[in-house]
Amino acid sequence: MRRGGKDGVSDRPDPDAVPETPEEASATGTLAARFALRQRSGGLIVPVLTALVAFLLGGLIVLATGHNPLLAYRDIFNGAGLNWIFHPTTSMVSTASYNLSQTLLQTTTLILTGLAVAFAFRCGMFNIGGQGQYFVGLYVANWVGVSLPHLATFPHIVLGIGAAILAGAVWAGIAGSLKAYVGAHEVITTIMLNWIAIWIGTYFFGDGGPLQNSQNATVPISNDVAASAKLPVFWGIQALQGLDVGFFIALAALVVFWALLNRTTLGYEVRAVGFNPEAAAYGGISVKKNLIRAMAISGAFAGLAGGLDMLGYLYHFATSDIPVSNIGFLGIAVALLGRNTAVGTGIAALLFGALLFGTTHGLSSNVIQPELAGNLTYMIQGLVVLFVGADVLILYVWNTRRRLRVRGVTA
Amino acid sequence: MTDELVLEMRGITKKFPGIVANDDVSLDVRKGEVHALLGENGAGKSTLMNILYGLYKPDEGQLLLQGKPAVFGSAKDAIQAGIGMVHQHFMLIPVMTVAENIVLGNEPVRDGVLLDERGAEERVRELSKQYGLAVDPTALIADITVGQQQRVAILKALYRGAEILILDEPTAVLTPQEATELFGIVRSLRADGKSIIFISHKLNEVLEIADRITVLRRGKKVATVSREGATEESLARAMVGRDVLLRVDKPPAEAGEPLLQVDDLHVFDDRGIEKVRGVSFAVRAGEIVGIAGVDGNGQSELIDAIAGLRKIESGTIELAGRTLEHATAREMLDAGLGHIPEDRQVRGLVLEFTIAENIALHDYAEPPDAKWGWLFPKKLVERARTLIREFDVRGGGPLSRAGTLSGGNQQKVVVAREIARDPRVLIAAQPTRGLDVGAIEFLHRRLVDERAEGRAILLVSLELDEILSLSDRILVLYEGELVGEHGADVSEEEIGLEMLGGRRTAA
Amino acid sequence: MSTFALDNPVWNRLRDPRTAGIAGIVLGVVACFVALPPITARSPLYPVLVGIAAAILGLSAALRGLRRLGWGAFAAGLIGIVLGVLATRSSEGNLSIVFTASLIASMFVFSTPLVFGSMAGIFSERSGVVNIGLEGMMLMGAFWGVYGADKGKSWAVGILVAMLAGGLLALVHAYFAIHLRADQIVGGTAVNFLALGITGYFFFQLYNGQDIPIGVSTIPDVHLPYIRHWKYIGPAIGSLNLLVWVSFALVIVTWFVLFKTPIGLRIRACGEHPRAADTVGINVYAIRYGCVVLSGMLAALGGAYLSIGFGGGAYTDNMTAGRGFIALAAMIFGNWRPFGAFGAALLFGFSTALAYRLPAYSGSAATLFQALPYVLTLIAVAGVVGRTVPPAADGKPYKKQ
Repeated sequence: MRRGGKDGVSDRPDPDAVPETPEEASATGTLAARFALRQRSGGLIVPVLTALVAFLLGGLIVLATGHNPLLAYRDIFNGAGLNWIFHPTTSMVSTASYNLSQTLLQTTTLILTGLAVAFAFRCGMFNIGGQGQYFVGLYVANWVGVSLPHLATFPHIVLGIGAAILAGAVWAGIAGSLKAYVGAHEVITTIMLNWIAIWIGTYFFGDGGPLQNSQNATVPISNDVAASAKLPVFWGIQALQGLDVGFFIALAALVVFWALLNRTTLGYEVRAVGFNPEAAAYGGISVKKNLIRAMAISGAFAGLAGGLDMLGYLYHFATSDIPVSNIGFLGIAVALLGRNTAVGTGIAALLFGALLFGTTHGLSSNVIQPELAGNLTYMIQGLVVLFVGADVLILYVWNTRRRLRVRGVTA
Repeated sequence: MTDELVLEMRGITKKFPGIVANDDVSLDVRKGEVHALLGENGAGKSTLMNILYGLYKPDEGQLLLQGKPAVFGSAKDAIQAGIGMVHQHFMLIPVMTVAENIVLGNEPVRDGVLLDERGAEERVRELSKQYGLAVDPTALIADITVGQQQRVAILKALYRGAEILILDEPTAVLTPQEATELFGIVRSLRADGKSIIFISHKLNEVLEIADRITVLRRGKKVATVSREGATEESLARAMVGRDVLLRVDKPPAEAGEPLLQVDDLHVFDDRGIEKVRGVSFAVRAGEIVGIAGVDGNGQSELIDAIAGLRKIESGTIELAGRTLEHATAREMLDAGLGHIPEDRQVRGLVLEFTIAENIALHDYAEPPDAKWGWLFPKKLVERARTLIREFDVRGGGPLSRAGTLSGGNQQKVVVAREIARDPRVLIAAQPTRGLDVGAIEFLHRRLVDERAEGRAILLVSLELDEILSLSDRILVLYEGELVGEHGADVSEEEIGLEMLGGRRTAA
Repeated sequence: MSTFALDNPVWNRLRDPRTAGIAGIVLGVVACFVALPPITARSPLYPVLVGIAAAILGLSAALRGLRRLGWGAFAAGLIGIVLGVLATRSSEGNLSIVFTASLIASMFVFSTPLVFGSMAGIFSERSGVVNIGLEGMMLMGAFWGVYGADKGKSWAVGILVAMLAGGLLALVHAYFAIHLRADQIVGGTAVNFLALGITGYFFFQLYNGQDIPIGVSTIPDVHLPYIRHWKYIGPAIGSLNLLVWVSFALVIVTWFVLFKTPIGLRIRACGEHPRAADTVGINVYAIRYGCVVLSGMLAALGGAYLSIGFGGGAYTDNMTAGRGFIALAAMIFGNWRPFGAFGAALLFGFSTALAYRLPAYSGSAATLFQALPYVLTLIAVAGVVGRTVPPAADGKPYKKQ
């Protein structure tokens, strides 16, 4: 019984045809369904291959502009402190040790902004608003950290982080609600919310803004959070931006993400809606509720990222940070490369964390300048998203396998 | 009609992975004839026509137009060769006008670059006068009726100079009046010397309109016969390859108290059109009530409303003694409703989920599957394992994804889930669509067994066979109203008449 | 009374709730403007009267079924009253600093890249390909435009190089979106990252990140011989950049091509129902490729305007700073129609221009004003002011049979 008979123009695919190839599957189905298919078809090969191809293409540009890509990558590797594994030490006198701690600091944030993208993805939505949700997390954590100076350490930190999580959740929840109730596309709304968050921050922390620092009214910077709100540092020194316990909170978030999705009824609902909203509704699941909820949880991860950064090592917010910060957007590449799973996101976050620090502050190289290498990160990021977003490599792997299988049968 | 052949298709074979859609099929069409292509769903009619229209390339075989071999690389080639197709879904753009839709791809131009809208409208008026197809060229497609849309689609083909016109299941979406008008149009086109290929699976209309009839079965041509001498019985036998109507052996119903009572139900569709208009009926414990009707007469909306998936405009639903007003899907499930949905892949299953997860689709949040929001995957798997055995699901275990199963086994998963919840009332919507004979038999037997368990079963199907062989009582839905009510001993003809709006036996 | 009502054409038209609603919105805007130069009514009575009229019209439309439009007009009336009264309270001196004819000129300055961007978006999306990558294509235009103008010693070369670069990036997007049937939003996002990396990389590689020579050839302003001395109009449009005029022309051309030519009909068909287009022999892929590449070239023009037009030959990293997204917003706000998008681009440009002047009142208020376009777009996509309806097949990959 064909539903609708609508206006005679719907061309729904034949419902009895099971997708035979990834091409067919990608022509139908939701975003989440397509990515699930991808997951099955490629295993580990595809993300690794994707990353390699992206690095290769990036290397070609490096080569074409007269630098040695192999040496450049070696220096980036060292700049990220990954050479630490050859000489493990906790002494901060070692450059490798310091660099690695900084890479892990970036990884902390990337895990969370990656999870923010991944969680929404699992509910069939594309959250490009991680950046804005991260910002509101920063703002609120700073506000709580600055304005309650007499609080004891533990409650102060909990309050600050809790407020950041809530802020991120609310910010993303707006997009989720708009999607659920009026069908506004979350990509458009999250982009708009990013910019609104940016201008709100500029207002609050800019000249004459209510949260600007109390010493100098011409510097658009906030006050530092109180000492009681600062997260303990376990590797390195606080004054030198050591690695704080936020790293473990991010690792815990990976576990929470996994358990939430795979071990709770909430996760079951979110995944059902992500794969097939119609079947979910038929199963008695409220699609609207889950769109809002998934978006809010997604924003909570990004808000947490902001909170941890603020209380972990930034301590203050400057409006000049806004155009530089890209960590929320990098979360997209992290999630896509990590295939929206907990483990994958963790690994991809480490990769991009290393790239982020290794190409900029950590880089000391006579082969490639940090300014060039930093942009190399963006290119690699773009290529990764491009390839993972399309089925290129999946198709390739799929077809090769099939060819092999056919040959195996005929042989 | 002359004997001049305008089209010959010789020995056409087309294979898809795992299926031979057309196997050595030949078809010839004369100038000025209506040639019906008759066959069940999946018999290969659409594939053959898509080949003729240049959308598929045949693996083997030859196409001759006016006796000359022709090869079509795309629809464009076919159009240029004078072949026009009116798709079942009309391929019209709702936000554009009738004239724009008709001239699209072949637009009249003035001043070198401008779209000549006046000229287009003028041309459409001429055409519609010439063939007696009244349409308003300036109206938007979205604003006109389905019958008018079909005329636009026909005009679109004629505008391109079609001499051979393919009509793909043209009456499926029409009201009986519109169908009658369509037949008038087809006759006048024939009188103008056009050749028409009329695809259908309805015997009566084929006998009414066709000059010759080619019957396809499972990808093969069975016969080409002329209308004279053909009867419904002979065509039906050719179509299905057996004497129709397999009655399922079942004892007479011992109906108990009414478990589902629907009273004066009104439901609108997504576009705000009233699709269910004051429907009232009851299904009692231990009986199967079948709802017969042509596609699109409100069945989907009726089921969705009962299942809590569509807003009820007015009327009441009583389920197992409880009156439910504006209940959600969850509330209906909790009240004791089981629902085998009409489309298992779109609605019945989450194809990316495992079988175990799919079986938990209604109960994932209740013990033993879950407690305090925590899910126990092992319990899901255990339950799935039992049901897989009981319902003989083959091709996968509890952790296989539902999408990897065959259609029949997917349906078994759905049925297993619904029955295992021990529902008082079970809705079975198109339960056997697209399944093979073995799976159909299994499901039919299972439904009869569930009847014996004292469930109230509401069967909705487009297959009259299925309704007749399973139901204890039969209701006929036409244009959103129940127009007939019968016992199990009613004849196919009587019901068919009511399905098409030919008479009413119920208020 | 009744005869009067029947015979009076104005009254007759207002009986249509739709017209009443629109008139209400217009009056709401007017309520605010009567208090501003050049009219500068000093009594709060005028904005209040006009605003009340707007609210009544809105209410009447709302009560007759057009809820969104009606309440929108009602709100416009009230907001008009508040803003208008506020304006009558502020000093005339401040008002004339902020509201001068050159405000109009700077509105055009700020709206021009948005106009290019939104027309670019319209072409792409009308053919059925969502183009989130506008931002990146614009950025490519901004950088490679400077490069071309510098190395080619001519702004014309700069424009050509910019369009080439934007078109190339668009080709990447098109290939992934059309041939590989990738998710278009993910692809567009990727294209933005790519552009950011490529421009940043080459800006440093070629110019060391800062040293674009002074005196790069820039796109000239057009000085209208007589008009530039006219009161109000002169300062407003007397010496606008050439690309500003080109952007005006582009709006008309876009409308003309899309709605008055056969190719436009085909483009729209591909965006609404590609299979229908395919079955009448239209090459859907070719049309979509053409539109996406054209889209990249137009967006790049908007970018080139930033660097070698109004930017005076300067370039900074990530110069577009989100304008591609606002252009996208303008397109949505304008309901995928050229004149609608143009209006939205002007509105957004106006709010930016205003934000640059508002510090006369309050610096922080000016900052918040910058967020206005995004808030407006959020409201627009939420369907508060009439629902926006994208082309039916927008963003859906098409597979040939």
